[in-house]
Amino acid sequence: MGKILQLLLRNGGFVTLVLVEAFCFFIIVQFNDRQNAIFTHTTGIVAGRTLEKRQQFSDYIGLRERMDSLSQVNAYLQTALANARIVKIPRRDTSFIVLFDSLNQTDSVRRKVMRPLYEYYTATVISNSISSANNWLMINRGSKDQIAPNMAVVTNNGIVGIVRHVDAHFSMVMSVLHRQAKISAALSKFNAFGSLIWEGGDPSVMTLKYIPKHFEVKAGDEVVTSGFSQMFPRKILIGHVEGSIAQDPENPYFLSMKVRLSQDMSTVGDVYVVKNIFQPEQDSLQVKVSNEQ
Amino acid sequence: MNNNFFPNFWRFLGLVAVQVLLLKQLTVSVGEYFNILLYPLFILFLPIQLATPYLVLLGFAIGLSVDLFSGSIGVHASAGAFSGFSRFVIFSMFAPKGGYSGKEPIFSPAHMGWQLFLQVSVLFFLAHLFWYFSVDAFTFVYFGTITLKTISAWILTMIFVWLYTAMFNPKN
Repeated sequence: MGKILQLLLRNGGFVTLVLVEAFCFFIIVQFNDRQNAIFTHTTGIVAGRTLEKRQQFSDYIGLRERMDSLSQVNAYLQTALANARIVKIPRRDTSFIVLFDSLNQTDSVRRKVMRPLYEYYTATVISNSISSANNWLMINRGSKDQIAPNMAVVTNNGIVGIVRHVDAHFSMVMSVLHRQAKISAALSKFNAFGSLIWEGGDPSVMTLKYIPKHFEVKAGDEVVTSGFSQMFPRKILIGHVEGSIAQDPENPYFLSMKVRLSQDMSTVGDVYVVKNIFQPEQDSLQVKVSNEQ
Repeated sequence: MNNNFFPNFWRFLGLVAVQVLLLKQLTVSVGEYFNILLYPLFILFLPIQLATPYLVLLGFAIGLSVDLFSGSIGVHASAGAFSGFSRFVIFSMFAPKGGYSGKEPIFSPAHMGWQLFLQVSVLFFLAHLFWYFSVDAFTFVYFGTITLKTISAWILTMIFVWLYTAMFNPKN
C-alpha cells in the first residue's frame, strides 16, 4: 500500500492528467452533440465487433455438440442404408414395395421396385419460440428447396412441428407447442393411437388423449407417431408417458396422460423436413369420404 | 505564493477575456483555419516551481473557462490539462544544468532570454494545438485536416505570443 502511495505521489502529475482527461472525455461526450455522435457510432462498431467475435467463439465451443449430433445422424443413415441393402426391409416404413413401377408406365418390364414413401430435406431453425401460447419456428428452406405446406418437421430426437407457410427461401413451422397442433400419436407397446395436444405452460410436456380406457398404460411407456396423419412417418419417437394416467374428464371412455417430449423444444437446431410423396393422392381420397358425409 | 498570485490571476482573466471576446470572434468571421489560442500562455507563465498536479488542474480550469464562453464544454479543458502536463515535460527537457534554481520565478524572456523562451513556447503551443484539434475532431479519420489546422493555428498563435510577451514582458 505504501509503495502504491509513493508511486502515486511521484507520478502525481501524470495521474492527475489521466483523471482530468477522463473527466474531460466524459463531459465532451455529454455536452457536445458532434463528439457524442462520433462516440456513439464508434462504440456501436466496437460492440458489434465484440458480439461477432463472441458469436464466433461460442460457435467454435459448440462444435463438439454439433459434431456429436451429426455423427448420430450419420449412424442413423448408415443403419438405414445397411438395412435397405441387406434385408430389403426398410426401417420405419419409409418405403414400400410395388409390384411394378406404376410411376413409370412406359417401362414394359414388370419388376419389383422399391418406392420411397417419404423424402427428407435438411434445414436449420433460424428462429424459435416456446414461451407463447402459440409457438412458431422459422427454418432456412422454402419453396425453392421443395418445401410445401403440411410437411412434417422432425429431428433425430423427436418431432418439431408442421410446415404451414412457405416463402421462396424460408418457411414458418407451426411448433408442436401450438394450441392448434394435433398430432396423431400412438403408444408403441399397444399400437393404440390417440391425439397429442399441448395445453400450454411447460414446453417439454404435452397431453395424449383418446387412448381407450382398457389399455394398462404405465409411466415410461414410449409414445411414437402413428403415421395416420399422412404427415409424420410412422414410429418416430415423440416422448415417454409421465406421471399418473387419469380418466379424461371430458370423455369417460378414454384416458388422458402427460407425455414428456424426447426433443427439447428449446434446443432445436438441425431438423429434417419430411415430404410424403403420396400425400396428394391420400388427401383426394379423404376428400371423397368427407363429401359422402 | 502570495506575491505571484495576483499577476497570474489577472493573466487568467485577461487571457480568457481576449480569447473569447476577440480571438474567438476572429475565427468565426475569418474561417475555420484561422485559429489563435493565446490562453495557454497562462499555463506557460505559471511559477516554475509549481507542482505538476496543480499545473494540470489549473490548465483544466482555464480551458473550461474558455469552453463555457465558446459552447464546446470539455474540449479546451482537455487541451489545457494536457498542456499543464506537457509544460512539465518540456521544462524538464530545457532545464539548465543542475535544474531550475528558484531565482527565476517564471519562464519568461525577462528571466530566461528570448531564444530559450521561443524554443520552449514553439514546442508547447504545437503540443497544445495538436491535442486541441484532435479532441475537437474526436477522431483521427480527419488526420489531414487536424494537421493543417494545427500548422496554420501554430503560425498565427506564435505571432500573437510574441506580441503579447514583447508588450507585457512579464516578470512574475
